[in-house]
Amino acid sequence: MIAISTRAWLFTIVSCCAPFCLSAATGTATQTLSAQINAIGKLSVPSTVSVVNSGTTFVAYTGNLSVSYRIRSTATTGSGTLSVKATNDFTPAGGPSIAGGMLTYTCSAATLGTACSGSRTLSTTSQTSVLTVGAGVCTGGGGSCSTNDPNTVQTSFTLADNPAYGTGTYSAVLTFTISAL
Amino acid sequence: MKRYHRILLLLAAVLVACPAMYGQFAATGTTTLSVTVGAEAALQVTTGTTTLAAAGTIFNPYTGTTNIVYKIRTTKSTGTGTITLKVTSDFSPAGGPSVATPPTAGDALTYQCTVAAPGTGCSGSITSSTTAATSVATFGAGASSANAGNAASTAWTLTNDPVYQTGAYSGVVTYTISAT
Repeated sequence: MIAISTRAWLFTIVSCCAPFCLSAATGTATQTLSAQINAIGKLSVPSTVSVVNSGTTFVAYTGNLSVSYRIRSTATTGSGTLSVKATNDFTPAGGPSIAGGMLTYTCSAATLGTACSGSRTLSTTSQTSVLTVGAGVCTGGGGSCSTNDPNTVQTSFTLADNPAYGTGTYSAVLTFTISAL
Repeated sequence: MKRYHRILLLLAAVLVACPAMYGQFAATGTTTLSVTVGAEAALQVTTGTTTLAAAGTIFNPYTGTTNIVYKIRTTKSTGTGTITLKVTSDFSPAGGPSVATPPTAGDALTYQCTVAAPGTGCSGSITSSTTAATSVATFGAGASSANAGNAASTAWTLTNDPVYQTGAYSGVVTYTISAT
């Protein structure tokens, strides 16, 4: 227990009430509060994802990744994109190659915006689309905004199983980027 | 006092952790995509039915060829691979040739192998069996076929024994590929 003396309590009460007790006149004052709300996008992805094959020989390796995002685009004129790029190809050498066009993905189940359509080939040189959003969209809060917070979009990766790959474990780094206007 | 200290510590931990969790959201995010590639092997017999036919001089053996396409990946350094075959159904109906119980000693269904690299085909003429798998090809460590597969074939020779009754006979041969 914290022991506080009676004298200390009295001092506290008097100190708090003094401004009210001593003021003899009243007045009003106004202050303008303004906020600049800009378009913004942020995302989060799991740190690792594995692609595996089903056990059938020489059937492609597959894996799923859920991307979480929050976005606000400018009303009327805004837009947003979520894209992906392989910033490091598979290492070590001797295995699959993203630059060789062996890794593809599909997008689905976007809770805000439009997921990419069809199968896309991942690139090490350029961003490829995962999701697009239109003007005036926002994550969370309901109303004119999405009820989901964060929003999510599913990506499914497919890696061709080529006999030429040497046996072993290979890893690549994918970078997702979100932007909003 | 200790209780209050614990509460204060818990609150401090929550305050520290919350911004960190929220901080996972950023304009970019990276994920490491990994795959473990293991040894695999598969084959396809592209000759659905192999017809053995005698040609030329009478009582020449019956011959024919079965083609296969194989895909393989063996483990680097330590892996191996094989293609084998086995007669899983002997010739039928009775009265004709037989792999398990040939009517005359010396009658046999034999084959020779042609295998594209990286496989090594069987050597010489091999007598097929209904009880044991016999070799068609072997593979060493780190072997890999083309993505579309590589070719192999077995060229069959069946004794043409006069004791065989006339008629059509058929058997089943099963090819097996494996890799480590």
